[in-house]
Amino acid sequence: MRVNIGRLIIAALLVSLLAAACGTPAPSAEPTTPPAAPEATTAPEPTTPPEEAPPMGPSGSIVIVIGNDPSTLDPQFSDDGNEHKINDNVYEHLLTRDPDSGEILPELAESWEQIDDTTWRFNLREGIEFHNGEPFNAEAVVFSAERIIDPDFNSEQISFVASIIGGEVIDDYTVDILTDGPDPTLPARMTWLKIVPPMYASEDADQFAQAPVGTGPYKFVEWVRGSHVTLEANEDYWGGAPSIGEVTFRPIEEAATRLAALQAGEVDVVTDLIPEYLAQVENSVAIHGLEFPWIRINTNVEPLNDVRVRQALNYAIDKEALAEALYGGYAAVAEGQILTPGHFGYNPDVVAYPYDPDMAMDLLEDAGASGATLEFVGESGRWLKDKELVEAIAAQLEAVGLNIEVNIVEWSDWLDLLFAGAEAAPQLQYSAHDNVLLDADRTLSALFTTEGSQAAYGNPTVDQLVLDARTETDVELREQMYHEAVETIREEAACIFLLNLDNIYGLSPNLQWTPRLDGRIFVKDMTLTG
Amino acid sequence: MGGARIGPTQYPQKGVITISAYFVRRLFQSILVIVGVSVVVFVITRAIGDPARMSLPLEATDEEVEAYAQRMGFRDPLIVQFWDWASKALRGDFGDSLWQRQPAMGLVLERLPATLQLCSTAIVLAVAASIPLGILAALRPGSWLDKLTTSISLVGVCIPDFWLGLMLILLFAVSIHLFFTSGYGTPRHLVLPAITLAARPWGRITQIVRSSMMDEMHRTYMMTARAKGLSEQKVIISHALKNASIPIVTLAAWELTRMLAGYTIVVETVFAWPGFGLLAMQAIEERDLTLIQADVFLVALIVVAMNIAIDFVYASLDPRVRLN
Repeated sequence: MRVNIGRLIIAALLVSLLAAACGTPAPSAEPTTPPAAPEATTAPEPTTPPEEAPPMGPSGSIVIVIGNDPSTLDPQFSDDGNEHKINDNVYEHLLTRDPDSGEILPELAESWEQIDDTTWRFNLREGIEFHNGEPFNAEAVVFSAERIIDPDFNSEQISFVASIIGGEVIDDYTVDILTDGPDPTLPARMTWLKIVPPMYASEDADQFAQAPVGTGPYKFVEWVRGSHVTLEANEDYWGGAPSIGEVTFRPIEEAATRLAALQAGEVDVVTDLIPEYLAQVENSVAIHGLEFPWIRINTNVEPLNDVRVRQALNYAIDKEALAEALYGGYAAVAEGQILTPGHFGYNPDVVAYPYDPDMAMDLLEDAGASGATLEFVGESGRWLKDKELVEAIAAQLEAVGLNIEVNIVEWSDWLDLLFAGAEAAPQLQYSAHDNVLLDADRTLSALFTTEGSQAAYGNPTVDQLVLDARTETDVELREQMYHEAVETIREEAACIFLLNLDNIYGLSPNLQWTPRLDGRIFVKDMTLTG
Repeated sequence: MGGARIGPTQYPQKGVITISAYFVRRLFQSILVIVGVSVVVFVITRAIGDPARMSLPLEATDEEVEAYAQRMGFRDPLIVQFWDWASKALRGDFGDSLWQRQPAMGLVLERLPATLQLCSTAIVLAVAASIPLGILAALRPGSWLDKLTTSISLVGVCIPDFWLGLMLILLFAVSIHLFFTSGYGTPRHLVLPAITLAARPWGRITQIVRSSMMDEMHRTYMMTARAKGLSEQKVIISHALKNASIPIVTLAAWELTRMLAGYTIVVETVFAWPGFGLLAMQAIEERDLTLIQADVFLVALIVVAMNIAIDFVYASLDPRVRLN
């Protein structure tokens, strides 16, 4: 009896091993939409030559690497770059941005105007349908706006649409968006708010989160969790059918594997390529991105409450050397502000503190802070070269006679310190900031106002400027306020300004694409060449 | 090997009763292990930092963080939180993933087939490659083949799996397009991760095959067998290997357990293989407490189940072993 049980177990074990080893591989999960789903192959044959693009209709397929599985495919819920990369091709917005200048352009809206302080009117394009046949109209816009701001829905994207309090249908193709006060950034917000189909989105939340339906150039095909998301060209797209027939998004976590997959020809677009890998990539493109590493200074404590000391810290840093040594030159010096020229409010007259260690030492001496000891908190692994950057900066600060105590902490502790409030903030803390709304308000209010969530600096002048600008609807006046605030923050050396990192993309040799300032990936802008 | 005890002259008298009593005790121990693991993971994931702040974007205000924490119950005493979790888990509800907003255990189970496929292929490869090599080495101790076997099995044990994986990718997927660098779906996706995962167990099993075979070759029963006039092949396979199989099978099963419980995480990450090892990495990266908890729970379950299975296998191979 005993032996029999043992044998049975062995037999069962062997059978299951063999079955698993020899069995036909099945996808790890059921595709979320069975109809018309193509066979779940995750990658094209490595040597597949691109299909010759016929003159008519979308053709060929590409694979885009993303960092992780999307958290959801509900376009209005999560603050997740992986989800956005996919849904930017399925859904559309009322407005969009020029890829190079950042200027706001019409998308699903043909035109827009501000009616009064709190009302913006949009005239919509006619005759557009969602992929499931639902009509795109004023009702869909109001539904989309009210869905994302619904407190019960509790969207992680709420801060992107924070000023919106509702919408009003004027006629089928005219809609008003209402704000809680004057909001000059409303058009920028409308490049963010994705328009969803009312009937489908309210039917079954779970289905909607797994099988998106938009108006965009690509239609959802399937999502096999952990493996891939596939989209196919929308031949009836109102803006003209896109050139590439099928797009697969594949999560690959490991950077070395992404590079290998690109080299092997298994994938066509790799985002966030690290500069060291560029020499091994045949086709790559780079553009100044939105990410700024920066160092927060606690301006409330000795000796950092002295503006001379803060300026000395800025003079002491050789920004060019950091860009070259750590990022292979794929970074620009931040011009005394944490904004790109594409951000509304960028001040073109403000420039970076030059590298001048002698000036730094003089200023420290004047302030009586030579040889002062400063605590410098950093973290490791969240951003590209974060720890290396902290160490290089500490060395440069020590070179001007300061005594820097570097403290690399766990992510959770780092977060606690970042949000600890101005009083408890460490003297220096490394962080990184990016502002996808492309409007100075988000950056200035979070980092440089007394009440800012990550601020350890406060100045009544700046507070007032940022507050007034938030509701100033005269565009030029508003820009002027930001210019003034940016200049003050730079003169006061409210932080250590560092670099603006590039976004680097590796592409397969036959893929043509120009990356965008805002970092979005629109597959309709890509073409495959023979 | 928990309760297994070797006593050369003790033979089980009441096999059935012994086994069921043993089984009940092991089951009880297993439950203790699983509860212990759950408590440890629960405390660690909630004691390090503020789980609410870590789940929300940097821009979230203090009010938003507080509201989220209240809704998720993060402000309750830890013991209350654990009780909530455990009482639901007993009913099969492991909570929703904070990251993907689906039932956490469902997400983990969805990934189970991919991991089982990878690990079982790897252990079959490891065993199939180690037994002939180990026997050949044991037959001629000190020969060049023996020395080579000893050295490369040591390399197999020591080689870091992420490095081996990347080298295999560069060689077989980038330089010659024989296999895929990453992904899931066909046998061509499976080969490289399976070889990478098999390397360490292969090295250890080869060593144990060699040493146990060498032990057996010197036993007196071998002389008897040869004296009976049996062919050398029969002597080696039917006598020596059969007796050497106990440590070999035990080690192989134990290696499979270790793969499932750990090695597979690195290999799945390198090869973007969508199993529960990769899911564990993703859950940690997304700071998804419920998903980490569900993933670890399943792994703990697999480990205790494998351990019980190993004991039974052990006993069934060696009549001298009593389960008590």
